[in-house]
Amino acid sequence: MPKNSETKQGYIFNIPLIIVVAIFIVVPVVGTIITSFFRDVSFLPEKFIGLENYKRLFSDTHFWQSFEFTILFVLISVLLEIFLGTIFALVLNENIPGKGLLRVVILIPWAIPIAISARAWELIYNFEYGLFNYIIIQLGLSSSPFNWLGSSTGAFFSIVISDVWKTTPFITIILLAGLSTIPADLYKQAKIDGTNFIKRFFYITLPLLRPVLIVALLFRTIDAIRIFDLIYVLTGGGPGGSTTSVSLYAFKYYLSGDFGYGSAISVLIFLLASALAILYMKFGRLTEEFK
Amino acid sequence: MNEERLKQIFLITGGIVLTAFCLLPFLWMIIISLGKNPDFLSGQTSFGFTFNNYTAIFTSSSVHLLDYLKNSLIVSTIAAILATIIASLSAYAITRLKFPGRILIPLLLLGFSMFPQISLLGYLFKMLSELGWINTYASLIFPYVTLALPLALWIMLSHFSRLSKELDNAALIDGAGRLKILSKIILPISLPGLFSAFILSFIFSFNEFLFALMFTIDYKARTIPVGIALFEGLYGQIPWGYIMAAAVIAVLPIIMVIALFQKYIMQGLTEGAIKG
Repeated sequence: MPKNSETKQGYIFNIPLIIVVAIFIVVPVVGTIITSFFRDVSFLPEKFIGLENYKRLFSDTHFWQSFEFTILFVLISVLLEIFLGTIFALVLNENIPGKGLLRVVILIPWAIPIAISARAWELIYNFEYGLFNYIIIQLGLSSSPFNWLGSSTGAFFSIVISDVWKTTPFITIILLAGLSTIPADLYKQAKIDGTNFIKRFFYITLPLLRPVLIVALLFRTIDAIRIFDLIYVLTGGGPGGSTTSVSLYAFKYYLSGDFGYGSAISVLIFLLASALAILYMKFGRLTEEFK
Repeated sequence: MNEERLKQIFLITGGIVLTAFCLLPFLWMIIISLGKNPDFLSGQTSFGFTFNNYTAIFTSSSVHLLDYLKNSLIVSTIAAILATIIASLSAYAITRLKFPGRILIPLLLLGFSMFPQISLLGYLFKMLSELGWINTYASLIFPYVTLALPLALWIMLSHFSRLSKELDNAALIDGAGRLKILSKIILPISLPGLFSAFILSFIFSFNEFLFALMFTIDYKARTIPVGIALFEGLYGQIPWGYIMAAAVIAVLPIIMVIALFQKYIMQGLTEGAIKG
């Protein structure tokens, strides 16, 4: 086939993808960036105000509170998820009874909409008749119930626990795929040499799993930075705004009709995620070079 | 203690903890949905086994939970079909035809998939309002297609690149067009890949929350995650029994899908994530 028609056909096959992506991703992102330089509030005429929205952002203590919360949330939950995900992947990688069933079970938290499971968590954390407080009291761990959703510490850990529940399976699945690429011969040889399984983990599994671990880590970080659904349903950002994530903060401005300021916040989140994404691509290539 | 035993203990404990951890909120949903008193743990009331919560949400017309579920199923199915078709077309061209930019498309799409949804939300809302699409299926279907496309494309790419190009060449010599080759030869032998892409796109769409929250107003287009999240009841007291019964009904289709197609989901996820 002549080269020219191949080029033409290549583009024709990609037209649907390019149109959908251009209209529903590229235009909105560019639009958001432009809007962030405008005063764009309901009932007032639009007006170009340059960097005013960004100046306001930098002196907005509520924004920085939400920023701090988001960073702290990302750090703690992602590290916990990687830790638990590694253990779960090691368990699922072995020949244990009920392995097929376990693989279905582990997909459940990931596959159920978090907005729905958050309602079940809400009930589990309930102060008066929640399951967690019932267990705490019955086991005698404390004489009084813990205020899970009504205190800022409690709300923070409630969100972390539910998020760990939701996303550990995803990490487990990725790590499981990583584990399956490690040749079984390595373990056999190490076994013959008399090393125990803890040593085998630290000297064989962990180093070989490192590239996949880094990918999972960055992937999850980018995802966790934009957390919205779980918090919206579980705490609504409270108590006292202590669990408001940056996405939720921007959303509240959109909802109140202040699109200019909401867009400025969104652009900042966008830049943060992009920086991480670039890091991710770089590491992606690095892992290629390791091979 | 000898090593094998230590390992056995580690594995069995891990398996039990894992199962309990994953199932807890789901089991709690089922338990509360089957009781008369969701506050029975306080000791003031008894559990009171009943199916009333289920009959109530199926018979009460003001609750609209079945409408939400119907909307979710329609929107997610259409979005998943569109995403799978669009991804197949692109993946075929990228793996079979030489044209400038063929490497760039999947990479750009991967980059776009990392854009936070919030950075699209405000402007997309304005665009959809102008179009008069707010509170319609279309306001969700198209954004969902873009959410699902990156993973769908990577899955199809990895399937198509494994197929020999001889298949195409033989058909080309016989005078078949590219579109015909794709639909008559390539797609029929790529059913597992198509299936993975479809199921994952469906789950992504079914789970989406932020767009559905912002772009829908009532039962005409509102999806089940938003419906359940915003369900508060009329008289102040949160009707937990109803909510949990609705939640069980909403997640049952998803759980059935993963129980039946666990292999495809795992495969699709790892293909998308490891290579991506």
